[in-house]
Amino acid sequence: MRVFRARVSLITILVGAGLVLSLRAQTIKELRLGMASVGLPAVDLGLRMDEIRGPATADSPKRQAIKASMQAAAGASRARGARVLVKFIEGLPSAARLSAVADVSRSAVMTTAPAYADFDIVQVAPNEDAAAVALAFGDRSDVEYAQVAHTFHTMFVPNDPLYAGSQWNLPMINLEKAWDIQPQAGSSITVAVLDSGMAYQNATFTPILPAFIDEDGTRYPSLGRVTIPYSAAPQLVGAAGAGRLVAPHDFIWDDNEPFDFDGHGTHVSGTVGQLTNDSVGTAGVAFNVKLMPVKVIDSVWDFLFFAPNQGTDDTVARGVRYAADNGAKVINMSIGRTGPSAPAVESAIRYAVGRGVFIAISGGNEFEEGNPTEVIAEIASRVPGAVSVAAVDRSRAHAFYSSTGSYIELAAPGGAGRGFGTAGGVFQQTFDPTFTDTFLLPPAQFRAPRFDVLGYIPYQGSSMASPHVAGIAAMLMQQGITDPAAIEEALENTAIDLGTPGRDDTFGFGLVDARAALRGLGLAK
Amino acid sequence: MKTHTLLLLSCLALASPAGAQDPPALSIRPFIMGAEQTFTASDTFDTVFETTRGPFFGGGVQVVIADQFVIEAGASRFKQDGERVFRTNAGSIFRLGIPLTATIVPFELTGGYRFPVSERVRPYVAAGFGSYSYKETSEFADDPENLDVRKSGFVVNGGAEVRLHRWMAVAADVQYSRIKGILGDGGISEQVGEDDLGGVSLRFKFIVGR
Repeated sequence: MRVFRARVSLITILVGAGLVLSLRAQTIKELRLGMASVGLPAVDLGLRMDEIRGPATADSPKRQAIKASMQAAAGASRARGARVLVKFIEGLPSAARLSAVADVSRSAVMTTAPAYADFDIVQVAPNEDAAAVALAFGDRSDVEYAQVAHTFHTMFVPNDPLYAGSQWNLPMINLEKAWDIQPQAGSSITVAVLDSGMAYQNATFTPILPAFIDEDGTRYPSLGRVTIPYSAAPQLVGAAGAGRLVAPHDFIWDDNEPFDFDGHGTHVSGTVGQLTNDSVGTAGVAFNVKLMPVKVIDSVWDFLFFAPNQGTDDTVARGVRYAADNGAKVINMSIGRTGPSAPAVESAIRYAVGRGVFIAISGGNEFEEGNPTEVIAEIASRVPGAVSVAAVDRSRAHAFYSSTGSYIELAAPGGAGRGFGTAGGVFQQTFDPTFTDTFLLPPAQFRAPRFDVLGYIPYQGSSMASPHVAGIAAMLMQQGITDPAAIEEALENTAIDLGTPGRDDTFGFGLVDARAALRGLGLAK
Repeated sequence: MKTHTLLLLSCLALASPAGAQDPPALSIRPFIMGAEQTFTASDTFDTVFETTRGPFFGGGVQVVIADQFVIEAGASRFKQDGERVFRTNAGSIFRLGIPLTATIVPFELTGGYRFPVSERVRPYVAAGFGSYSYKETSEFADDPENLDVRKSGFVVNGGAEVRLHRWMAVAADVQYSRIKGILGDGGISEQVGEDDLGGVSLRFKFIVGR
């Protein structure tokens, strides 16, 4: 999770030390954008198992210091009645076959034998028990076998090559069978991702990089004007390009170009809706949703590029209201903070939910740092239609960093490297930090970042858990549950109870179960 | 039409010969039946099927002893299509578009008494037991998620038989059934706290025989 305070220490150092040199006079746009939409396609490095990103990783303190056709339209097919496949003994005359059909069923009609089959097909009326007809055929001495032609349904397993080997998180929440129920995977729903932006288009930036001092007091030199390549994440926008995007907006730069200079927002967006079943990379939860990138968090580079705004309460509140006013039906907020209450954000959350928007909020990553209350997640616990999401690791246990408290409502895979290595992370396509986080290098090696080199990077954090819930919520919206509070109930009522029986402070109501939520209830089952 | 004709002919074939004047000491009387049942689990049925009632069709045979005592064995069938739902705790219902089919097949055995109030009209009461098969299937269900169970229950009924002809009669009665052990352990019925698959039926019979 990127907390608001993520960059505060660096900001303080820079401003306080007055080492921003002479660059403040330059305009924002000169510093930032060279040519939008002009840039080379991304360099795809594929699966990166070098390190895991997120809280409690080796470099996280430094980073923090700086920083889804078709409706299953089965109704019509049901009305056609059932078919029974009957294999008569070899050489039985047609007249005898017809006689057998008349013997076992009052409604059955022999259809023309298909050329491809060594059996006959008997059509049974909808009001007759096809299984009983098949049994009656089976009891006859002139029949080798008889069976009802049961309906098969897809057992959708994405063909994305990294799905089977690396994405333990999606089967964990029963997504394959959920995709069977809803192959459209949320295609009519817009999910707003309030985060650090999104790698949604190619561009070239030509900012002047200032000198700065890191949290250890080490001085990094100015690099002057540099050219920074920037590429869209192909697995987010794909061939559809910007057509998948709805009303992108940047509240850090006050424009409509929410470029992600961190990678976090791109990764989170991937979990919500990474292009899926395209034989490339990884899969996403609601892989057909429309995405609304709303940038409300500033990264280290935003700061070094002199972004005018920071990811503070007012920025986040504006982002929530903007998403609700521009067609989002689900908002994911893999952001948060501790400290004093956040009435402005709470008001915005209540406004959005009141407009029919479901909100998933990450539950926090500070379990081992005193486990303070996460203020934004705590709001969710008081607003029906907004949920706070804790993280579980690959073994469905409490992720070591995941905050606990009475405000936790659900759990989802957040990943954890501890005990699992990088294989315990949540993988999605985003920038390779080797090329972006150059501020982590010694001053002598400090260089301009490249935002055109992407890979499938393992992250851990409740930031990674929340978009799982947001994606399922989008699928529930498309399935017909349009009320945010009802979505929350559906998710909580169908969650897999973990830990102490019933709701608890670690997992809330339990691990979200996509299939159970989408499938709903019958009379007795 | 063909089916109905066959059923009628079957009933006639099974019917005992009617006496000219006096009722026989023992009469075996096939019947066909249609019923409209209002289910006790009204919230459950209303949530899934958007109605609390449903039709049963079936038939059976009655054995009338000394024109006063009757033993009836009958079977019927109810089948309804609906869709799976999500119901909030406050009662809002969201239909999920996932087809569901419920089938109830009761086999009921009752014994009763016919009040000799007139030659033409015979009020009656009866009580007995039933064995009830319940199947619930839905799209995308794994095998264990489809339900196929049989439980027992009891029934009481009362009504009147009206003789139309010396070997044909019609009857109408109201039957109450109570069937536990099928609903209430899962699904919407568990959520709304209903566990009785029975209900009150208005039944109409066409009886062949005396």
